Amino acid sequence: MNWELARNAGAQFHDHRHASHAHSRPYVISRRGFAGIAAGAAFSAGVWIPGLAEAKEKDEKEKEKKSSQPVPIRGGSPKLGGSFHVFGPTPGGSFDPIDAEPSTITDFNGFVGLAYISGTVQRTDKRTREVRTLPMISSDMRFMTGVFRGVDSRVHEGTFALV
Amino acid sequence: MDVYEPSSGAQIHDLNPSDYHPTGLFWTIEIPEDGIEVNLGKGHASMEAKRVPIFDYGNIGNALSGGAPRTPGVVSFRVVWSGVNQRVNIRNTDPLYGGFAGNFVRNTAQMEWTAVTDDFTFVSAPLRTSSSNFAEIGEERNGSFFP
Repeated sequence: MNWELARNAGAQFHDHRHASHAHSRPYVISRRGFAGIAAGAAFSAGVWIPGLAEAKEKDEKEKEKKSSQPVPIRGGSPKLGGSFHVFGPTPGGSFDPIDAEPSTITDFNGFVGLAYISGTVQRTDKRTREVRTLPMISSDMRFMTGVFRGVDSRVHEGTFALV
Repeated sequence: MDVYEPSSGAQIHDLNPSDYHPTGLFWTIEIPEDGIEVNLGKGHASMEAKRVPIFDYGNIGNALSGGAPRTPGVVSFRVVWSGVNQRVNIRNTDPLYGGFAGNFVRNTAQMEWTAVTDDFTFVSAPLRTSSSNFAEIGEERNGSFFP
Protein backbone atom coordinates (compact mmCIF):
# COMPACT_ATOMS: atom_id res chain seq x y z
CA MET A 1 0.00 0.00 0.00
CA ASN A 2 1.22 3.45 -0.90
CA TRP A 3 0.40 5.58 2.13
CA GLU A 4 0.25 8.84 0.19
CA LEU A 5 -2.49 7.41 -2.02
CA ALA A 6 -4.16 5.81 0.98
CA ARG A 7 -4.43 9.22 2.60
CA ASN A 8 -6.41 10.42 -0.43
CA ALA A 9 -8.55 7.30 -0.40
CA GLY A 10 -9.69 8.25 3.11
CA ALA A 11 -12.35 6.92 5.38
CA GLN A 12 -15.27 6.81 3.00
CA PHE A 13 -14.17 3.37 1.81
CA HIS A 14 -14.83 1.82 5.19
CA ASP A 15 -18.55 2.43 5.16
CA HIS A 16 -18.84 1.36 1.56
CA ARG A 17 -16.97 -1.88 2.25
CA HIS A 18 -19.16 -2.87 5.17
CA ALA A 19 -22.32 -1.96 3.31
CA SER A 20 -21.45 -4.22 0.40
CA HIS A 21 -20.51 -7.15 2.67
CA ALA A 22 -23.66 -6.76 4.72
CA HIS A 23 -25.75 -7.31 1.63
CA SER A 24 -23.83 -10.26 0.25
CA ARG A 25 -22.96 -12.47 3.23
CA PRO A 26 -26.35 -13.67 4.52
CA TYR A 27 -27.06 -15.38 1.21
CA VAL A 28 -23.79 -17.28 0.95
CA ILE A 29 -23.02 -20.80 2.11
CA SER A 30 -19.50 -21.97 1.45
CA ARG A 31 -18.60 -25.36 0.06
CA ARG A 32 -16.79 -26.05 3.33
CA GLY A 33 -19.86 -25.16 5.33
CA PHE A 34 -22.02 -27.34 3.15
CA ALA A 35 -19.61 -30.27 3.54
CA GLY A 36 -19.72 -29.90 7.31
CA ILE A 37 -23.51 -29.93 7.36
CA ALA A 38 -23.64 -32.94 5.06
CA ALA A 39 -21.08 -34.86 7.11
CA GLY A 40 -22.96 -34.12 10.33
CA ALA A 41 -26.21 -35.37 8.83
CA ALA A 42 -24.57 -38.60 7.67
CA PHE A 43 -23.06 -39.34 11.10
CA SER A 44 -26.30 -38.65 12.93
CA ALA A 45 -28.05 -41.09 10.62
CA GLY A 46 -25.51 -43.81 11.41
CA VAL A 47 -24.14 -43.78 7.89
CA TRP A 48 -20.41 -44.08 7.18
CA ILE A 49 -19.40 -42.38 3.98
CA PRO A 50 -15.60 -42.00 3.59
CA GLY A 51 -15.83 -38.86 1.47
CA LEU A 52 -17.99 -37.11 4.04
CA ALA A 53 -15.75 -38.26 6.90
CA GLU A 54 -12.79 -36.66 5.16
CA ALA A 55 -14.80 -33.51 4.68
CA LYS A 56 -15.59 -33.43 8.41
CA GLU A 57 -11.93 -33.95 9.29
CA LYS A 58 -10.97 -31.13 6.93
CA ASP A 59 -13.62 -28.94 8.51
CA GLU A 60 -12.21 -29.65 11.99
CA LYS A 61 -8.71 -28.68 10.81
CA GLU A 62 -10.08 -25.46 9.36
CA LYS A 63 -11.79 -24.67 12.68
CA GLU A 64 -8.53 -25.32 14.55
CA LYS A 65 -6.62 -23.09 12.15
CA LYS A 66 -9.17 -20.29 12.59
CA SER A 67 -8.97 -20.53 16.38
CA SER A 68 -5.21 -19.98 16.25
CA GLN A 69 -5.53 -16.87 14.09
CA PRO A 70 -3.94 -13.70 15.47
CA VAL A 71 -5.97 -10.75 16.68
CA PRO A 72 -5.57 -7.40 14.89
CA ILE A 73 -4.24 -4.35 16.72
CA ARG A 74 -6.79 -2.05 18.30
CA GLY A 75 -7.86 0.88 16.17
CA GLY A 76 -6.04 2.07 13.10
CA SER A 77 -4.74 5.09 11.27
CA PRO A 78 -7.03 8.13 11.52
CA LYS A 79 -5.99 8.93 7.95
CA LEU A 80 -7.93 5.82 6.89
CA GLY A 81 -10.86 6.55 9.19
CA GLY A 82 -9.59 4.47 12.10
CA SER A 83 -11.33 1.25 11.15
CA PHE A 84 -8.52 -0.44 9.21
CA HIS A 85 -6.24 -2.09 11.74
CA VAL A 86 -2.94 -0.68 10.49
CA PHE A 87 -0.73 2.38 10.99
CA GLY A 88 1.70 3.93 8.56
CA PRO A 89 4.71 5.18 10.53
CA THR A 90 6.45 7.81 8.41
CA PRO A 91 9.41 10.14 8.93
CA GLY A 92 8.13 13.51 10.04
CA GLY A 93 4.73 11.99 10.71
CA SER A 94 3.49 12.80 7.21
CA PHE A 95 1.01 9.95 7.60
CA ASP A 96 1.20 8.57 11.14
CA PRO A 97 3.92 9.40 13.71
CA ILE A 98 7.22 7.67 13.08
CA ASP A 99 6.87 5.87 16.43
CA ALA A 100 3.41 4.48 15.59
CA GLU A 101 2.79 0.73 15.93
CA PRO A 102 4.33 -1.11 12.95
CA SER A 103 2.70 -4.47 13.72
CA THR A 104 -0.79 -5.35 12.50
CA ILE A 105 -1.10 -8.09 15.16
CA THR A 106 -1.78 -7.44 18.83
CA ASP A 107 -0.84 -9.63 21.81
CA PHE A 108 2.39 -10.15 19.92
CA ASN A 109 5.98 -10.61 21.07
CA GLY A 110 8.60 -10.99 18.38
CA PHE A 111 10.47 -9.45 15.48
CA VAL A 112 8.96 -7.00 13.03
CA GLY A 113 10.12 -5.35 9.84
CA LEU A 114 8.56 -2.55 7.81
CA ALA A 115 9.62 -0.88 4.56
CA TYR A 116 8.16 1.37 1.89
CA ILE A 117 9.94 0.32 -1.29
CA SER A 118 10.09 1.76 -4.80
CA GLY A 119 11.51 0.36 -8.02
CA THR A 120 10.45 -0.77 -11.45
CA VAL A 121 8.70 -3.85 -12.77
CA GLN A 122 8.39 -5.37 -16.22
CA ARG A 123 4.79 -6.28 -16.97
CA THR A 124 3.77 -8.66 -19.75
CA ASP A 125 0.19 -8.77 -21.00
CA LYS A 126 -0.62 -12.48 -21.26
CA ARG A 127 -3.07 -11.91 -24.10
CA THR A 128 -1.26 -9.40 -26.34
CA ARG A 129 2.32 -10.17 -25.18
CA GLU A 130 2.88 -6.42 -24.80
CA VAL A 131 5.79 -5.75 -22.43
CA ARG A 132 6.03 -2.52 -20.46
CA THR A 133 8.33 -1.24 -17.74
CA LEU A 134 6.31 0.43 -14.98
CA PRO A 135 7.16 2.19 -11.71
CA MET A 136 6.37 0.64 -8.35
CA ILE A 137 6.12 3.36 -5.71
CA SER A 138 6.29 3.05 -1.92
CA SER A 139 4.96 -0.48 -1.62
CA ASP A 140 4.41 -1.28 2.05
CA MET A 141 6.07 -4.60 2.99
CA ARG A 142 6.17 -5.92 6.58
CA PHE A 143 6.85 -9.07 8.55
CA MET A 144 5.97 -10.22 12.05
CA THR A 145 7.46 -13.38 13.48
CA GLY A 146 7.23 -14.58 17.06
CA VAL A 147 4.55 -15.58 19.53
CA PHE A 148 1.03 -14.21 19.69
CA ARG A 149 -2.16 -14.81 21.61
CA GLY A 150 -4.74 -16.02 19.11
CA VAL A 151 -8.47 -15.54 18.95
CA ASP A 152 -8.66 -18.67 21.13
CA SER A 153 -6.69 -16.78 23.87
CA ARG A 154 -3.89 -19.34 23.64
CA VAL A 155 -0.29 -18.49 22.76
CA HIS A 156 0.93 -19.65 19.35
CA GLU A 157 4.03 -19.22 17.21
CA GLY A 158 3.64 -17.72 13.80
CA THR A 159 5.16 -15.76 10.95
CA PHE A 160 3.17 -13.24 8.94
CA ALA A 161 3.68 -10.81 6.09
CA LEU A 162 1.82 -7.67 5.19
CA VAL A 163 1.95 -7.40 1.41
CA MET B 1 2.70 -4.00 -4.59
CA ASP B 2 1.65 -0.65 -6.03
CA VAL B 3 2.26 -0.20 -9.77
CA TYR B 4 1.59 3.00 -11.70
CA GLU B 5 1.01 4.27 -15.23
CA PRO B 6 4.02 6.51 -15.92
CA SER B 7 2.23 8.96 -18.21
CA SER B 8 -0.75 9.76 -15.98
CA GLY B 9 0.65 8.80 -12.59
CA ALA B 10 -2.49 6.78 -11.92
CA GLN B 11 -2.23 3.53 -9.98
CA ILE B 12 -3.07 0.59 -12.25
CA HIS B 13 -2.17 -2.42 -10.09
CA ASP B 14 -2.64 -3.01 -6.36
CA LEU B 15 -1.55 -6.51 -5.41
CA ASN B 16 -2.40 -7.59 -1.87
CA PRO B 17 -3.79 -10.61 -0.07
CA SER B 18 -6.78 -8.78 1.37
CA ASP B 19 -10.05 -10.65 0.87
CA TYR B 20 -10.80 -9.00 4.15
CA HIS B 21 -9.70 -11.29 6.96
CA PRO B 22 -12.37 -12.73 9.31
CA THR B 23 -10.63 -11.30 12.38
CA GLY B 24 -9.93 -7.99 10.69
CA LEU B 25 -6.22 -8.43 10.09
CA PHE B 26 -5.14 -5.86 7.55
CA TRP B 27 -3.58 -7.38 4.41
CA THR B 28 -1.66 -9.79 6.64
CA ILE B 29 -1.11 -13.40 5.68
CA GLU B 30 0.79 -16.27 7.25
CA ILE B 31 4.02 -17.25 5.52
CA PRO B 32 6.56 -20.00 6.26
CA GLU B 33 8.78 -19.22 9.26
CA ASP B 34 11.93 -20.15 7.37
CA GLY B 35 11.35 -17.19 5.06
CA ILE B 36 12.45 -14.74 7.77
CA GLU B 37 15.97 -13.95 9.00
CA VAL B 38 16.71 -11.23 11.54
CA ASN B 39 19.97 -9.96 13.00
CA LEU B 40 19.26 -6.71 14.83
CA GLY B 41 22.91 -6.34 15.87
CA LYS B 42 23.97 -6.10 12.24
CA GLY B 43 20.85 -4.26 11.14
CA HIS B 44 20.01 -7.08 8.78
CA ALA B 45 16.76 -8.86 8.04
CA SER B 46 15.22 -10.60 5.08
CA MET B 47 11.77 -11.82 4.19
CA GLU B 48 11.14 -14.28 1.40
CA ALA B 49 7.95 -16.03 0.33
CA LYS B 50 6.82 -17.79 -2.79
CA ARG B 51 3.45 -17.99 -4.50
CA VAL B 52 1.56 -16.03 -1.88
CA PRO B 53 -2.08 -15.76 -2.99
CA ILE B 54 -3.11 -12.20 -3.79
CA PHE B 55 -5.68 -10.24 -5.74
CA ASP B 56 -4.99 -7.42 -8.15
CA TYR B 57 -7.46 -4.72 -7.14
CA GLY B 58 -6.16 -2.19 -9.65
CA ASN B 59 -5.95 0.66 -7.18
CA ILE B 60 -6.07 1.46 -3.47
CA GLY B 61 -9.68 2.63 -3.62
CA ASN B 62 -10.90 -0.69 -4.89
CA ALA B 63 -8.56 -2.55 -2.50
CA LEU B 64 -10.07 -0.80 0.51
CA SER B 65 -13.68 -0.58 -0.53
CA GLY B 66 -14.35 -3.10 -3.25
CA GLY B 67 -16.96 -2.28 -5.82
CA ALA B 68 -14.90 -3.15 -8.88
CA PRO B 69 -13.62 -6.49 -10.13
CA ARG B 70 -10.38 -7.97 -8.82
CA THR B 71 -8.12 -10.52 -10.43
CA PRO B 72 -6.62 -13.46 -8.52
CA GLY B 73 -2.93 -14.26 -8.69
CA VAL B 74 0.20 -15.16 -6.77
CA VAL B 75 3.25 -13.15 -5.78
CA SER B 76 6.76 -14.16 -4.79
CA PHE B 77 9.10 -11.68 -3.15
CA ARG B 78 12.38 -11.15 -1.38
CA VAL B 79 12.88 -8.09 0.83
CA VAL B 80 16.24 -7.29 2.41
CA TRP B 81 16.78 -4.75 5.20
CA SER B 82 20.35 -3.60 5.77
CA GLY B 83 22.46 -1.04 7.58
CA VAL B 84 22.00 0.96 10.74
CA ASN B 85 20.95 4.59 10.34
CA GLN B 86 19.52 4.90 13.83
CA ARG B 87 18.83 2.71 16.86
CA VAL B 88 15.74 3.64 18.87
CA ASN B 89 14.19 2.27 22.02
CA ILE B 90 10.46 2.91 21.97
CA ARG B 91 7.93 2.66 24.75
CA ASN B 92 4.80 4.13 23.23
CA THR B 93 1.84 4.50 25.59
CA ASP B 94 -0.19 6.73 23.28
CA PRO B 95 -3.81 5.50 23.40
CA LEU B 96 -4.10 5.56 19.62
CA TYR B 97 -0.68 4.90 18.10
CA GLY B 98 0.94 3.06 20.98
CA GLY B 99 0.56 0.20 23.40
CA PHE B 100 3.88 -1.37 22.49
CA ALA B 101 7.55 -1.30 23.39
CA GLY B 102 10.67 -2.46 21.67
CA ASN B 103 14.08 -1.88 20.19
CA PHE B 104 14.24 -0.83 16.57
CA VAL B 105 16.86 -0.23 13.92
CA ARG B 106 15.96 2.29 11.22
CA ASN B 107 17.79 1.44 8.03
CA THR B 108 17.10 0.83 4.32
CA ALA B 109 15.37 -1.93 2.40
CA GLN B 110 15.26 -3.32 -1.12
CA MET B 111 12.98 -5.81 -2.84
CA GLU B 112 12.65 -7.99 -5.91
CA TRP B 113 9.44 -9.75 -6.79
CA THR B 114 7.45 -11.58 -9.41
CA ALA B 115 3.73 -12.05 -9.79
CA VAL B 116 1.28 -13.81 -12.04
CA THR B 117 -2.37 -12.85 -12.35
CA ASP B 118 -5.01 -13.98 -14.82
CA ASP B 119 -4.07 -11.07 -17.10
CA PHE B 120 -0.40 -10.23 -16.55
CA THR B 121 2.97 -11.46 -15.44
CA PHE B 122 5.28 -9.16 -13.47
CA VAL B 123 9.03 -9.38 -13.03
CA SER B 124 10.67 -6.62 -11.03
CA ALA B 125 14.08 -5.19 -11.76
CA PRO B 126 16.86 -6.72 -9.63
CA LEU B 127 16.83 -6.08 -5.90
CA ARG B 128 19.82 -3.69 -6.05
CA THR B 129 17.86 -1.27 -8.26
CA SER B 130 15.10 -0.69 -5.69
CA SER B 131 15.12 1.75 -2.78
CA SER B 132 13.17 2.63 0.35
CA ASN B 133 11.99 5.95 1.74
CA PHE B 134 11.56 4.44 5.22
CA ALA B 135 12.53 1.09 6.70
CA GLU B 136 12.87 -0.34 10.17
CA ILE B 137 13.31 -3.69 11.86
CA GLY B 138 12.91 -4.40 15.52
CA GLU B 139 11.88 -6.56 18.42
CA GLU B 140 8.62 -5.55 20.03
CA ARG B 141 5.86 -6.63 22.37
CA ASN B 142 2.32 -5.30 22.44
CA GLY B 143 -1.14 -6.05 23.78
CA SER B 144 -1.04 -8.55 26.62
CA PHE B 145 2.77 -8.78 26.26
CA PHE B 146 3.16 -5.03 26.78
CA PRO B 147 4.11 -4.44 30.43
